[in-house]
Amino acid sequence: MTKAAAVARKCVPIFLVAAFALVAPTAQAQKSGGSITVGQELEIAGFDPLKVGVYDTSTFTAAAAIFDTLTTLNEKGEAAPKLAVSWTHSDDYMSWTFKLRQGVKFHDGTPFNAQAFKENFDRQKNPANKCRCAFYITNVKEVLAPDDYTLVYNLTDPSVNLPAVITIQSSNNVIQSPTAWKTKGDDYNRNPVGTGPYILKSWTAGDRMVLEKNPDYWDKGRPYLDRIVLKPLPDAQSRFASLQSGEADIIWDDENDADNIMKAQKDPKLTVHTYKGSGAQVYAFNTKTAPFDDVRVRQALVMAIDRPKMSQAISNGLSRPASNPYGDGSWVKCKDDGALPYDVEKAKALIKDYGKPVEFKMLVTATPRGRMVGQVLQQFWKRAGANMEIEQVDQATIPSRAFTRQFQLTPWRIVDLADPDPQMYANFRSGSPLALSNFSDPELDRLLDHARVTADLGQRTEDYCAISRLINKEAIWFWTFQNTYYALSSAKLKGFPKIYNGVIDVSTTWLE
Amino acid sequence: MLNFVVRRLLAMLPVLLAVSLLTFLIASLLPGDLALVILGDQATPENVAALRRDMGLDQPLWWRYLSWLGHVLQGDLGRSFRTGQTVLQAVAERIPVSLQLMLMAEFIGLLIGVPLAIACAARAGGAFDRFMTGGAFAMLSMPSFLTAILLIYLFAVELRWLPATGYVPFSEAPLANLRFFVLPALTLALAEWPGIMRVLRSDMIATLQEDYIALAKAKGLTPARILFVHALKPSSLTLVTVTGINIGRLLGGTLIVESIFALPGIGRLLVGAIYTRDLVILQGVVLLVACGFVIVNFIVDMLYAVLDPRIRHGHA
Repeated sequence: MTKAAAVARKCVPIFLVAAFALVAPTAQAQKSGGSITVGQELEIAGFDPLKVGVYDTSTFTAAAAIFDTLTTLNEKGEAAPKLAVSWTHSDDYMSWTFKLRQGVKFHDGTPFNAQAFKENFDRQKNPANKCRCAFYITNVKEVLAPDDYTLVYNLTDPSVNLPAVITIQSSNNVIQSPTAWKTKGDDYNRNPVGTGPYILKSWTAGDRMVLEKNPDYWDKGRPYLDRIVLKPLPDAQSRFASLQSGEADIIWDDENDADNIMKAQKDPKLTVHTYKGSGAQVYAFNTKTAPFDDVRVRQALVMAIDRPKMSQAISNGLSRPASNPYGDGSWVKCKDDGALPYDVEKAKALIKDYGKPVEFKMLVTATPRGRMVGQVLQQFWKRAGANMEIEQVDQATIPSRAFTRQFQLTPWRIVDLADPDPQMYANFRSGSPLALSNFSDPELDRLLDHARVTADLGQRTEDYCAISRLINKEAIWFWTFQNTYYALSSAKLKGFPKIYNGVIDVSTTWLE
Repeated sequence: MLNFVVRRLLAMLPVLLAVSLLTFLIASLLPGDLALVILGDQATPENVAALRRDMGLDQPLWWRYLSWLGHVLQGDLGRSFRTGQTVLQAVAERIPVSLQLMLMAEFIGLLIGVPLAIACAARAGGAFDRFMTGGAFAMLSMPSFLTAILLIYLFAVELRWLPATGYVPFSEAPLANLRFFVLPALTLALAEWPGIMRVLRSDMIATLQEDYIALAKAKGLTPARILFVHALKPSSLTLVTVTGINIGRLLGGTLIVESIFALPGIGRLLVGAIYTRDLVILQGVVLLVACGFVIVNFIVDMLYAVLDPRIRHGHA
């Protein structure tokens, strides 16, 4: 769940038909040259983890072009080499050793090596720096650089899938030039230096960021485009209009703009890139406060939710109902995930059985989408005999309220990650600061511990399905919809990869 | 006149002080703890307490206000905790965009409103007057986000005459810059002209009933000369006020219009600061904008005095 708070409701897309991307590298010849404009939802605050803490979706897109990570996800969703060329792990998965690519340089000429990586890591981990980014690397005890091209991660807990987990272009994983942040100080935040395929050329606050091709990129032949222009276009309607009129070549989008997605599907000049990722939009009950200290109330509320109807109301039916936290995009496939059925009569009976009035407040974001979701749930629950009051707060407040447990019911998100372990462990293991429900169960802990040290996928799947059954039965969290990511582009834009983790990565694209 | 200017300047001081206090209170009394926001998921009770101490948030409100005011008076409005930019840097980058937008909008608004007002006043009660007065009502009730989207669909998507979003500085490409500003300025102007027209129209109708206009008519002056030379200036007093007040209203309008048309102005800066709870930027921008508004009002007062000597002598 770790990144979920930061990424909150956003995230992006990928591609429409699997076939497109699978054949892309072979069936279509990449063309070099040209420039594209990307329409983003948010303005980018900067790239220095000490300043911005964690990246948002818009920053991810820029980070994917300016920086590299150690590993990347291939088309099958498996970890593949990037700045690391190979890796091995200890028997207990408590230690991972990466061999690094040689001869790579940062845009400012600083050589990339294990020491540079270690400095990135240590800077974030150093308690004196109070980086918000540090939270997400608490499971890494230390990073060692025994020689220039060897890197060792020593973990506090085992992780069977670390190379896949560190592929996301987050502030923790992208590698920045130590020389640059040391010499530029406060100015580094808006003058980032990486090893990536594109170099930051200029940045006008609120208007545009211009990235130009890195002529010395280590992956010879790449990148293809000469220039990428990133523009914040906060209004969804005008963002789509910019795509239609050709001012933007690719834009961020989500299910809120169902009309635009449907319009784009019918337009032969546009391509809708869709990626059905893992994870889900989720909600956590605080089980330490009434009325949610009683399982009957929690179960009743979950059973009163009509997901297909809700999907119709908020996204014209585009949202895909979720019955577990993994989603269709995950390798965890459950025959039985223990989902409670939609049953209003049963819900009413449970609330009657509870015997006291069910009244509570739910946090929602002060956005049109947040309000609408709140109102729809309010209606469902009213029908079952429960009164919910909507408490609107701005997006930045939700994580802090959640972490300090100042809520009865809060929205959350489990983002698309290559492995369920980091988020599931953080969200449900007793004592975790992110176990928002304050729920503790020895069997749940045992399953979570077992799943993280087991290498066998079949066995891990069984563990995660058992975890889902347990959570669904206890109804400490519930899931409404699976994560689907969207990007809309001109049909001429090719080579757009899957929208893993909701990141629109345009660094591999070209224009036909 | 000098006396009048000095009196008005002195009167501005308490207003500016009140503005600074209110601005400070807005940011301080907003629900939510700034330290919690900055620390986010790092917010352990100890971290929060330490940061609150570092930032002086544990001090009494009056002490924080005075220390903040002290910094403001020295030109230090603080630094965004998200981007590391100072408020002045951020505002200096954005203000030319908003000023250009407001000036163009006001100009287009006057360009539409003034001739229509004169035409209506010339034949008050006639078919054209009734039609335009009704039309002005209709336009007043049209929200600017709707106008914006309609304009974008017509001129950017369907006709492709003008860009839907974007910006280049005037110094780089003057013509392209103006193209980017046409639709946003028009959006704001379409909400401005009805007010301008209605105010000027009713003032002109009143002026046209004055004795000296009857005299002018009797002397055989042409209707155009009477309207433009003899009636327009004395009728424009309220218009000057309205135009001044409009600057304040336009600032509100830019919040929406700059977001829709992706113009990197003050409005967008403010919306972004609210969205990310960047209270330092929020406080700084609101303060500067409020001061700007007070200063515009001062200028309006001065213009008023120039237009009507009775005001500067304290008779009106």
